[in-house]
Amino acid sequence: MKQALRHSWKPAALIVLLMAVWEAAVRLFDMPAWLLPAPSAVWTELLNDWPSYSGHIGSTITLALGGFLIGSAVGLLAATVLHLVPGFREALYPLMILTQNIPVIVLAPLLVIWFGFGATPKLMIIALVCFFPIAVSVLDGFRQTDDDLMHYMKMAGASRGQIFRKLEWPHALPSVFSGLKIAATYSVMGAVITEWLGAKKGIGVYMTLASSSFRTTNVFVAIFLVMALSLLFFGLIRLIEDRTVIWKTKGRRERNG
Amino acid sequence: MAELAVHDLHKKLGQTDVLGGLSFRVGDGEFVSILGPSGSGKSTLFQLIGGLLEPDGGEIRLGEQPIRGRRGMISYMPQRPSLLPWRTVLDNVRLGAEIAGAPDPPDAIDMLDKAGLGGYADAYPHQLSGGMQQRTAFIRSLLSPQDFICLDEPFSALDEFTRAEMQQWLLSLWEENPRSILFVTHNIEEAIYLSDRILILTDKPAQLLSEYHVPFRRPRTPDLILSEEFLDIRRQIARQLTAPHR
Repeated sequence: MKQALRHSWKPAALIVLLMAVWEAAVRLFDMPAWLLPAPSAVWTELLNDWPSYSGHIGSTITLALGGFLIGSAVGLLAATVLHLVPGFREALYPLMILTQNIPVIVLAPLLVIWFGFGATPKLMIIALVCFFPIAVSVLDGFRQTDDDLMHYMKMAGASRGQIFRKLEWPHALPSVFSGLKIAATYSVMGAVITEWLGAKKGIGVYMTLASSSFRTTNVFVAIFLVMALSLLFFGLIRLIEDRTVIWKTKGRRERNG
Repeated sequence: MAELAVHDLHKKLGQTDVLGGLSFRVGDGEFVSILGPSGSGKSTLFQLIGGLLEPDGGEIRLGEQPIRGRRGMISYMPQRPSLLPWRTVLDNVRLGAEIAGAPDPPDAIDMLDKAGLGGYADAYPHQLSGGMQQRTAFIRSLLSPQDFICLDEPFSALDEFTRAEMQQWLLSLWEENPRSILFVTHNIEEAIYLSDRILILTDKPAQLLSEYHVPFRRPRTPDLILSEEFLDIRRQIARQLTAPHR
């Protein structure tokens, strides 16, 4: 904990400094609040407007979490199949990269046409956003399996299944987690974007209502909420990682300390 | 029976003839070293014995069984320790048995104790020194159910002091748990000190150039290395290795 504090004071100081500059600039140039509110105004609004946005947070969390879980599961499964079935990787990997060149925001209206305004197209969009970072980082993790360990496993007579379960999978775990961390932050963003397309509740809805009535301070409140949620997701996964990938985290701490 | 017989082994890798009719045998409970210049096809030979590669010609038998192209017939200790970083020392030494589908070796803790690793059963490999990691790897190969062990330059990555210590330790452990061992090294002294017999290979395509019986009785002690007889064998082998032989 002490160490965490020692490492985090620099970025924290920078954030405080940026906020101070922002605050000073707004006051100095006498900015109207609808154009750029001061951080202090955003903070006050964040505290006071709780009753009106609290109802939105839950539905964004549910949506993001659902999409994240579906996307991660499909991503993991896809990476495993591409890795284990001979020839699949070569055939499908370029296609996978290609699909990522289609911006999800372009797909969104299509999915709405096909699946309506319910939860289905929203979950699909978030899952699509989360799928890619996981699939790619897990595939890379599999491919970067240590040659010496692989050689030992083969010489010891391990079968394909044993090599996957006992070597490749645990070896790829750190990559799994880095994919999950990226996907987690994407999932919150994805959820907000899908809420813009039409929803009854959610931070995205709160944000649209605020911006269409030029309540810019509330738009910033929404931005803050999105950031806070992303950080929360990220932190949770980091916590699970620290408990799961013990050999890496231990090594890391010993080297640092 | 753990008697390895290699007969007239041929292997081509791409355009190079790596093995050109190599024959030798390792008797039951015998410690045999293979000595040869780097790149003389020693690792190819291990991959053939381990079943990772198929020979182009020739036979490999373990006891009565032909084992060419069959994996999991031998126990193996690689050049680098190759311990799985996410497993504790205890789980690592059990790995060989686990892969072979054999029951957990009951003497694992006991062996770790003897190797001076008793307090480290629950430690992870990155917490051990290089020598300790290599000891763990050797215990893993001893606890594997196969009777025949292949050691691939296991001490080459260690410093001189650790190396001497490890050789002594390996000998004492092996004398207690005799197995048939095929040991690859390019350190002449190490080969003489450890083995019953030394095989010297030619350059590629490798064949058996000559063979030395090491006459020293066991248990052997480190001062042997300085005896006149030891130096004599060492000189002979060194001469043989540097002589142009084709």
